[in-house]
Amino acid sequence: MQAYYDVIVIGAGPAGLAAAIAAAKTGASVLLAEREKRLGGILKQCVHDGFGLVRYEEKLSGPEYAQRFIDALRASTAEVLTQAFVTKIEKNGGRFRLALTTARGMLRLEAKALVFATGCRERSARQIALHGTRPAGVFTAGTAQYYTNVLGQMPARRCVILGSGDIGLIMARRLTLEGARVLGVYEAKPVPSGLPRNIAQCLRDFDIPLHVSHTVTRVFGRERLEAVEVAQVDDNMRPISGTGRKIDCDALILSVGLIPENELAEGLGVTLDPVTQGPICDQNGQTETDGVFACGNAVHVNDLVDYVSESGENAGAAAARYAARERRFALVKTDAQFLYAVPQRIDLAAQPEAVTVYFRTREERGKTRLRVCCNGQVLLQKTFRQLRPPEMERVVLPLKGAALQPSHGIELTMEGLL
Amino acid sequence: MAGIQKLNRLLAKEFGGRISAVPERGHLALRGESADWGEIVRAGHLAAKHNKSAGVVNDVHFTGQASAPTRLPCETDCSLEGASPDVLVIGGGVVGCAVARELSRSRLDILLVEKECDVALHASSRNDGMIHPGLDIRKGSQKYDYNKRGNRMFGKTCAALGVDFTQNGQYLCFPKKMPFFVLYLSLPYWKWMGIPAKVLSRRQLFAREPGLHPALHCALYFPSAGSVCPYGLTIAYAENAIENGAALSLSTAATGMELRDGRITAVHTNRGTVHPRVVVNAAGVFSEEIAAMAGDRFFSIHPRRGTNSICDKKVSDRIARNHCSTLLTGSSKGAHTKGGGVIRTVHDNLLIGPNAEESPEKEDFSTRRESIDAIFAKQAKTSEKLRQGQIITYFTGIRAATFEEDFVVRPGLYTENIIHCAGIQSPGLTAAPALGVAVAKMAVQALEAQSGETVQPNAAFNPVRAPIPSCARLDDAAREALIRENPDYGVILCRCEEISRGEILAALRRPLPCGTVDGVKRRVRAGMGRCQGGFCGPQVAQLIAQEKGIPLARVRKSGEGSELLFGETKAALREEGEDA
Amino acid sequence: MSIELICITCPAGCALQVEQEGGALRVRGNACKRGLAFAQAELTHPTRSLTSTVRTSFAQAPALPVRSDRELPKGRIPAVMRFLARITVEERLGCGDVVAALPGGEGNIIATSDLLKEI
Repeated sequence: MQAYYDVIVIGAGPAGLAAAIAAAKTGASVLLAEREKRLGGILKQCVHDGFGLVRYEEKLSGPEYAQRFIDALRASTAEVLTQAFVTKIEKNGGRFRLALTTARGMLRLEAKALVFATGCRERSARQIALHGTRPAGVFTAGTAQYYTNVLGQMPARRCVILGSGDIGLIMARRLTLEGARVLGVYEAKPVPSGLPRNIAQCLRDFDIPLHVSHTVTRVFGRERLEAVEVAQVDDNMRPISGTGRKIDCDALILSVGLIPENELAEGLGVTLDPVTQGPICDQNGQTETDGVFACGNAVHVNDLVDYVSESGENAGAAAARYAARERRFALVKTDAQFLYAVPQRIDLAAQPEAVTVYFRTREERGKTRLRVCCNGQVLLQKTFRQLRPPEMERVVLPLKGAALQPSHGIELTMEGLL
Repeated sequence: MAGIQKLNRLLAKEFGGRISAVPERGHLALRGESADWGEIVRAGHLAAKHNKSAGVVNDVHFTGQASAPTRLPCETDCSLEGASPDVLVIGGGVVGCAVARELSRSRLDILLVEKECDVALHASSRNDGMIHPGLDIRKGSQKYDYNKRGNRMFGKTCAALGVDFTQNGQYLCFPKKMPFFVLYLSLPYWKWMGIPAKVLSRRQLFAREPGLHPALHCALYFPSAGSVCPYGLTIAYAENAIENGAALSLSTAATGMELRDGRITAVHTNRGTVHPRVVVNAAGVFSEEIAAMAGDRFFSIHPRRGTNSICDKKVSDRIARNHCSTLLTGSSKGAHTKGGGVIRTVHDNLLIGPNAEESPEKEDFSTRRESIDAIFAKQAKTSEKLRQGQIITYFTGIRAATFEEDFVVRPGLYTENIIHCAGIQSPGLTAAPALGVAVAKMAVQALEAQSGETVQPNAAFNPVRAPIPSCARLDDAAREALIRENPDYGVILCRCEEISRGEILAALRRPLPCGTVDGVKRRVRAGMGRCQGGFCGPQVAQLIAQEKGIPLARVRKSGEGSELLFGETKAALREEGEDA
Repeated sequence: MSIELICITCPAGCALQVEQEGGALRVRGNACKRGLAFAQAELTHPTRSLTSTVRTSFAQAPALPVRSDRELPKGRIPAVMRFLARITVEERLGCGDVVAALPGGEGNIIATSDLLKEI
């Protein structure tokens, strides 16, 4: 394991997988760091299909979609580190210094560019101001999905779903097929949040009622959830008094929104957009902090994984380009007659056509010829009547056609004339 | 008697004859009925103000909505049958656990019973964790005395018990444009109270706390204020007590007592009958019920709810670096709380609250939106940067207040072998170390008086408890060493609080048993962060199942009946039959 | 008579208005011809793909993601779920491997994850 990578991608969900593959394709050295044991991020638990319709024109399940990228990643030059948790990132000169916690100890790595593919987390019961008791049986949809699909365990027998986000709708179908009763989906907004096809195939197919402009106002039950109170809401999404109704149930599943997870990026001073809650990005996924890129749901919450992958590829490739943009210089060399000349070096990336050089002579001189050469080719000759240390001289060097390289720079020489 | 007549005239005038006071043996009882709980509380306070006897007992029948019965554990067995400890401590809150630990310095048979499935499930986990300087306490009260002693003991106690404690002081801010040198006039008062204090000008205040509301003008700074994790301290006391030989029985409730000649001879529990020589009543909101069982009811508890919100720690530094509260003139007169504030917890979250609401319910920990709206509206005067959107969780606690609004720390009034440590409300957490020492001493004196023999010290007593390592707080070298020793400390499972698998497993292997998701959360903070256990919850549940050798479906969030899962998927389908 | 359907073929989720005129169907609202095919199927023999999990004998991975390798008649889904409920995977199957053949030639149940190969 090396200590430096051109690009380190943080997070191996669909965005990070795509970013690492794309970055590695450019020839950059790439490390993909994932905190979980297995690659794929949230796709691991999305056993339903519908992934890849745009990209592959196929109806893949989440794990199948992820597998295509995992296979491509394995075939690439990118290195992978799982169960590696990024604990600290500092910017040090032009590089990022990362500390990662792993079962093999603390790793310290450096990278030229970072790609944050950290995804998002679910809004919790408390963040939507759900009140009442705090019993077992209140789950976010993703947590309920983990229990159901990864652990093969039922989180509910009779449940109410709050919020009509896609994961909530998918869970309504999933739990119904597994033998639970989904009593209804309640959505505070006047229109459902999920895709119409999910309303059709997850709710209508199973006669699960959808109640828009309704919310859960209170939960009951001290140890396990016993009931929830639902009420109609007004245009400001405030419950209308007198419309409350208690529903007996043993689980409440929340599908009330996702929040891009950017605490690591925030620690680097990356500025976030208050609306998306993701970093402000340019077309390359580069944030306002140089060398820090972001992609996927960390930037904004996507509906389709296909576009998450797309943004990952874009940011990964851009991060690799950024890392490869090594600044190259040609030195300005002077002989012993000069006190100094500035600039001391010329940035080649800018491909300058002319450069102004200022210099002083070391000692007072009479008639002197200045000669500027590059790799044996004379760029400029200029004769001065006299040169004195207190007087700064200025010449403009024509660089068009000059074969400037880091290996051979510009040589300034003085020659005394009679 | 003249006092009683005057009190009854006042009660009659205030409550239209519905409530009256009757002197009992050594205390005062209130009789009558009312449908208004607030009225009953006011009558209690009025009686306490005029009472000269040991305490005011509330026998006024509340005709409003009947309060829920005390929740008792369902499990029963005979594990305690026939036990005859020297001291039975009833209640596993911070005070009960501190008493047990201080008692374990002596060579005694100590048993602590707690009706909930873990220690610190009532007021000891449902408070703001602030260590008070003791600003608004009456000098001469028990509260004053124990708070002052407790505050001074905190640093040393926490160091021995391996509990995080910070002491960075508290700012009491003033919004009025008054010349700040007026505050100097209060300095002799603080000196008389024994509370270190300093006056800060606006410039000095904002240099230290730039996130405060710009309208704040000056402040008093009290350096002896601090923060501790209240359940962390309770658990540490309990574990250290166990390490030093005390026995602790969870999900165990005292359900009745037998008395003979003014002495408790037996205590019935759901795990058998116990015959203690001395009983310590540290039962929080239920200390009145325990006193009644012991034939020693001379005070009453009127529950007072308080709600706190906890904000994402990433906003802490730009709002308040330390505890900050604002003196609001004219609004909180007569209310039994300073009106809350912005508390910087020992884990660097901001905690906003608490408020105070009288309620007949002793175990209704439900929260209400209106409480949080009101608290945030009030604290906007402390910092205008506070937003409800920064909240990650909130909770309600219930203070065990007496009508005297003071602690009851004393041997029984009518019964010989009971020591009460009751009426413990704010600043009970600050007072806990001092209460532990004082009550243990009273218990030892009672034992010595009984037997005429001196109680011997426990030669093996070790005051030091090794805490569970907190990886995220270790420096790199120490963390590296820990991971080399045990790679589980390098596998992070709770991403928000950076808690490793090793820490979670350690929490499940401590001397005080812990086998619930919430229990793990209180011990190592997995699930305390901004995602509230959405990601790590299932991981913790799996580790509990694995470690305890139980199926996942038996893993609980907290108490009995709080199982998270209903068993395997498709189990219901398998029952449905054979067609395909 | 007009029937309203939502096309579930792709994420666009077109709202279809379907009218039956004699033997022929008139479909409006579809952005592509898959919408027409969906409407026809939905009114005559509606089908759905089925995704689920099956029990495994591996403690570290108790559930294996699976799906039907083709669409199934909508009415058969509950029975196929009961069929899946009786399966326990004991081999380390990988993504695409056949878990079980559905009775009556309705196709196969295939694994959709390499999970068991990774544990």
